[in-house]
Amino acid sequence: MEFSTMLSTMAPGMLRSVGIFTLTLLGALPLGMIVALLKKSRFVVVRAIIGAYISIIRGTPLMLQLLVWYFGPFYLFQMNIGDWRFPALILGFVVNYAAYFAEIYRGGIESIPVGQYEAAEVLGYSRAQTFMRIILPQVIKRILPAITNEVITLVKDTSLAFTLAYSEIFSLAKQISASQTSFTPFVIAGVFYFVANYVVAFVMSRIEKALDYYK
Amino acid sequence: MILEMNNIRKHFDDMEVLKDISFSVDSGEVVSIIGPSGSGKSTLLRCATFLETIDGGEIKYMGKTAAHTNDSGNAVYVSQQELHVFRNYCGLVFQHFNLCPHYSVLKNLIDAPVHVQHRSKDEAIDTAMELLQKMGIADRADAYPYQLSGGQQQRVAIARALAMKPDILFFDEPTSALDPELTGEVLKVIRQLAEEKMTMVVVTHEMPFAKAVSNRVLFMDGGVVVEQGDPHDVFDNPQEERTKQFLRVFER
Repeated sequence: MEFSTMLSTMAPGMLRSVGIFTLTLLGALPLGMIVALLKKSRFVVVRAIIGAYISIIRGTPLMLQLLVWYFGPFYLFQMNIGDWRFPALILGFVVNYAAYFAEIYRGGIESIPVGQYEAAEVLGYSRAQTFMRIILPQVIKRILPAITNEVITLVKDTSLAFTLAYSEIFSLAKQISASQTSFTPFVIAGVFYFVANYVVAFVMSRIEKALDYYK
Repeated sequence: MILEMNNIRKHFDDMEVLKDISFSVDSGEVVSIIGPSGSGKSTLLRCATFLETIDGGEIKYMGKTAAHTNDSGNAVYVSQQELHVFRNYCGLVFQHFNLCPHYSVLKNLIDAPVHVQHRSKDEAIDTAMELLQKMGIADRADAYPYQLSGGQQQRVAIARALAMKPDILFFDEPTSALDPELTGEVLKVIRQLAEEKMTMVVVTHEMPFAKAVSNRVLFMDGGVVVEQGDPHDVFDNPQEERTKQFLRVFER
């Protein structure tokens, strides 16, 4: 197989990898914030549920979680829901990454000095205004480096989609490598991940710079 | 009376911080609260500005009751919505300024007037610039807090509180985080406000300042008001042994 043929066969896989990446971020970044806020809920039951969720997600491999999302409905509930591969994949990624983001958000929120809340309270800001106008902007600045780490890990973790035989770039590389007895597909996949992370690191450092106007 | 606090009680865990404290502030009055640390001065201010809730007693602003003690002896506050009105009567300047680091000086001054009081942005900017002028930092309107000295930051914080047009302004040790050189510029601003008859309550360790500026001085210790009165009486001729003992420390 020619190099160019190989590349064009793998191109749709790249798109699928980018798809998993994008959808996971779109789902997990906001969901993580909801989880972080629920973790600080005044209801013990809510805090306990969120605590259990985070510890299960962090305590088990993402690969296993993906398999549970995919096969769980059938094995656990005898449900047959047709082609559930892609939704299960995205669900697995979003639920997993939301837990990690939630902990990053929580750390960020707790690092804001209590004086900021008190000043807001005396000035008459509502709780929602205090969070959106005063706390959140400062939290975002503080957590950016940690978020960057997590996003870079996500780029590489998209390769775990091969466990559900979803043909993103890593699955394709394995297949083509086996059928063509060639090492080249792995090199292509490696370059793809590296470049993708280079772009991520570049974009994130730009955002960090943009928030450099205050300390 | 702008503010009346009657029989205020407050405890943290097993510590009784305020033991049946009563005091009031009249319009245009400047009241200084002095006393050793842990005497309950700051807690009293925080109760007056609704940052802390009292266990018992009564808080009134403009003759309207914000909190009172019910028949079973517990303090009851008005609803959150009504409390919002009471918060509007008072402003508080913190020891550590607590400015928003992500807002410019001007934005710090106009954000609450625009988004909390729903005043027009143009009017809020005019008010803010006027206040900055008065504080002598109009040229720093576009700066961010981290670019300012502590003294400048505290003046911005005072301007931010004044931008809300409060009826009474509280200061919680406004110069304790500043070195002596910068203390002067902040005290000067407070003195200027006193001359304009701004109603103020100042918790401070600056005795000469308290003596010169205030109409009345409260000496607090152990959660009670030990002595209060005209600053010259309290400072030059204290009646209570505890007051004498405390003031002696500052003579050194």
